[in-house]
Amino acid sequence: MFDLVVDSVPLAIVASIPLLLAVEGELIVQRGGIINLGIEGMMLTAAMTAAFAAQTTHNLAIGFVGGVAGAAMIAALFGLFAIVLRADQIVTGTAINLLALGGTSFVYHETQAFQQPVPQLRTDPLLPLAWIVAPIILGVILWNSSFGLRLRACGEHPEALLATGRSVRMHRWAALMIEGLLVGLAGAYLSLALSSGFAENMTAGRGFIALSIVIFGRWKLKGALLGTAIFGLAAAMQYALQAANRGIPFHLLLAVPYVVTLLILCGVAGRVRAPEALAKP
Amino acid sequence: MIHLSHITKTFGPTRAVDDVSLEVQRGEIVALAGENGAGKTTLMRIAAGEIDADGGTVNREGRAELVHQHFLLVDALTIAENLALTHLGFRFTTRRMIEREAREIIAGTGIELRDVSRRVSELSVGERSKLELIKAIARRPATLILDEPTSVLTPNETGELFAVMRRVAGEGTAVVFISHKLPEVLAVAQRVIVMRAGRVVAESAARDTNVQALANAMVVAQSPGLPVAGQLGDRVTGQPNIKAIVGVAGNGQSELAAKLRDEHREAGHIPEDRSRDGIVAELTIAENLALKAKRWNARDAARHAERMIALYSIRASGPLQRAGDLSGGNQQKVILARELDRRPPMIVAAEPTRGLDIAATRFVHEQLRAAAADGASILLITSDLNEAFALAGTIQVIYRGRLSEAMTPEEASRRVAALMAGVA
Amino acid sequence: MRRFGVAVLAAASAVLLLAFSGALFGHSPWSLLSILGSGSVGSRFALAGTLLKAVPLLLTGLSVVIAFRAGVWNIGGEGQFIVGGLAALVASRWGVVASLAAAMLAGAAWASIASAMRLWRNAPEVLTTILLNFTAIHLLGWSVNGPLREHAAQYPQTDPAGAALPVLGGVHAGIVLAVAASVFAWWLLYRTAEGLRLRATGFNPNAARWAGIRVGAQLARAMAISGAAAGLAGGVELLGVTHRLFERFAAGYGYSGIAVALLAQLHPLATIASALFFGALVTGAGELQRAANISAGLATFGQAVVILTLIVFENVRSRR
Repeated sequence: MFDLVVDSVPLAIVASIPLLLAVEGELIVQRGGIINLGIEGMMLTAAMTAAFAAQTTHNLAIGFVGGVAGAAMIAALFGLFAIVLRADQIVTGTAINLLALGGTSFVYHETQAFQQPVPQLRTDPLLPLAWIVAPIILGVILWNSSFGLRLRACGEHPEALLATGRSVRMHRWAALMIEGLLVGLAGAYLSLALSSGFAENMTAGRGFIALSIVIFGRWKLKGALLGTAIFGLAAAMQYALQAANRGIPFHLLLAVPYVVTLLILCGVAGRVRAPEALAKP
Repeated sequence: MIHLSHITKTFGPTRAVDDVSLEVQRGEIVALAGENGAGKTTLMRIAAGEIDADGGTVNREGRAELVHQHFLLVDALTIAENLALTHLGFRFTTRRMIEREAREIIAGTGIELRDVSRRVSELSVGERSKLELIKAIARRPATLILDEPTSVLTPNETGELFAVMRRVAGEGTAVVFISHKLPEVLAVAQRVIVMRAGRVVAESAARDTNVQALANAMVVAQSPGLPVAGQLGDRVTGQPNIKAIVGVAGNGQSELAAKLRDEHREAGHIPEDRSRDGIVAELTIAENLALKAKRWNARDAARHAERMIALYSIRASGPLQRAGDLSGGNQQKVILARELDRRPPMIVAAEPTRGLDIAATRFVHEQLRAAAADGASILLITSDLNEAFALAGTIQVIYRGRLSEAMTPEEASRRVAALMAGVA
Repeated sequence: MRRFGVAVLAAASAVLLLAFSGALFGHSPWSLLSILGSGSVGSRFALAGTLLKAVPLLLTGLSVVIAFRAGVWNIGGEGQFIVGGLAALVASRWGVVASLAAAMLAGAAWASIASAMRLWRNAPEVLTTILLNFTAIHLLGWSVNGPLREHAAQYPQTDPAGAALPVLGGVHAGIVLAVAASVFAWWLLYRTAEGLRLRATGFNPNAARWAGIRVGAQLARAMAISGAAAGLAGGVELLGVTHRLFERFAAGYGYSGIAVALLAQLHPLATIASALFFGALVTGAGELQRAANISAGLATFGQAVVILTLIVFENVRSRR
């Protein structure tokens, strides 16, 4: 059993990159007081636009840019509803997920571009980015900068920040754009590095798992890393168990990530203190 | 220096400010007195530039800072971080840096607030009030406006506040403070302006007037049974069944009321915050009244509602009116009707007359007295000492979540100030 | 009346935006619209298809209406639909009534997992219900490939159910059940004390608590009823249309219920009309796939557009 765990570690670290980037992005946004349920749709859209960009230009870097562009588009749409129109964030997020699901399937079937081969990934800059660079930079921004202080105020008591003459909206938009960047990279990595192109519904709930990990980590970066590591390991072991053919049915193994996430949410025992103003328009 | 000329402001159908002109000079301390709803806060928000007047002109020299009644502090952040919110552009910061700057700011205002690394959630209500004051004064405004600053302070803290006000005025700042507590008004202000129903009805130098005259100006008619603001305990009207728990807001009253609500489900409960916890705005009056009923029948509910509307003199267009459209006083009557009509053996009323005008307040007191006379035992949680002494036969003080022993009104009137300040 | 207008406007905008999207990729918007129309209501066959699709949509829509009215975020209709179907299959040997009852119980139970997690662990149901959806999908996958697989073992599907709903001229009796459920939901919400408490809790849980309502239990009950409705949808779909279970059994009915409920402005009776609209949309989109090779994902896209348009109009309205 133990060797199974150890063998799974490298896979866990790499396979969790999209998830980790999503967790980091969502953490920043939620610290600002917004809950972006549409992160699933954002990642899916990014996966599609990244594949489209890479497969038409035969250039991987452009593919990643394409991913970020796709995510930014969704972020803009979400921000329009959640920040400008002050609409209900849960309903908006759900709508965006449906939009992305239907939209990406539609576009995928419409063009031949997705039939092209995907360029290979030689060096992997995203691994140190997701696991080391991003957490450090985000940590400094959140805890050691005036912007981060004001953003946290947006998430706790926006009226207090408004009274000082600052714009709560601007801070939330900034957080949303940071999330767009991170999730764009995540989606691109998913379709270009972890798979060979786009497939319908390929995010398979990663966005929702990311949301769960943000809660588990109590809206802190260390917690985010820990939660993703735990989840990533459990998910990677699913493949190891499959390969080792221990007699556990394939389909039940597929359910493991979601059950694990449910358990993770259970483990958030008792009173968890979310940012006070979370999800209030 | 602020000069307001013929200011009007209307919110929907209500004229909040009706052709008001007043001015405050540098170095003056002016008090703006009046009942709830008289228009004082709205007028001052216009003076500070937070909202625009519909008519009239505002002439302001320098900046005006308004310290709100309800705190605009971020509980999860520390004192230092809250102060940092007001002062930065973009830069990288460290905890030590922010705390050092905070101490400098605090020192500059002359107000005492120690240990800036504490979270605001850990502070007492008086300390939070100080922090709000520091925030305002630190910006060196030409005019400082304080909205009901003493409503949450102990008598000691009030004295400290007045000292700060005098010092700041001595340095040339114009100070306006809004209050409905007349003895305080006379203690610190040089000039008093009284507002009623959106207009200025009286203005005089503090030394030329007294509490009685001011109180008379504040209300339309005085009824003999009504306690006059500022006079305590000289009325033996307290009933045996009514117990009052008094204290400065924020000392555990809300938690106590919630605990009682959950432990005594059969009792009647009147919540402190009527718009958040009292009525369901989207439902009709009839539906709100029926929330505790076991069965629902639209026709019976409507008939019952009509009866309650008549009995409690609720100003509404009918049982099917949306409860959220009623005025505060009428919403409170709906809650009273719902809770009292079932004749529960026990009633817990938290701040039942907060924000109500004289007539509504009198009505609520009558209903509570009637219920007590009927045999119900009533627990009144209030920060209004007059109310407590007017109604209750027994008084307890709550401070930082603990209750003092039960006292008679006579004994309480001697000890209450000290107990509320936590001085045994 | 105005709310009706908003709904119509939202529906129309969705259809127009669909046509526009098609145009972006070279399809003629007119032919797209005409295929949508003829494919959904243009023939007896199309109409029957629309009605058949509307039935589960009505039930999952009602599920969302009840949940959202209580202030509970039940996004788990998909999973509750699936377990409803599973339970209905297993219980089908004992007849239609037992089968549908089992479906409702299973849906309620599945939803109650999320309820329990919220009550005891403060886990937000908006996430747990979604995670349970994925779990149910894989549970279904395991069942149809494993223990419940058909005897012929040819395809990943089950044997036919032991019971079936009677057929009435092209559609099945489930349509009667669905409409009855709609009326029941209306009666529950507006004519009973339980419904009043449920709505009060949804509007203002604080005030509900102060009025003596046990909010936790109230929300749990609402979730259970909501889950039962979605479970019933699964059972009805099994016994009336598919007769077997297979991997894509739910096919988005659960999530579509959200759009159905929101277009109906959370009113149980209006849900009937809303379900018919989306039924037409799905059926028409299916025809689009057959005739013009356009992905049926367009229907899902259309649902999202409806929701977003509704939000915009609600917003514009409340600003005036």
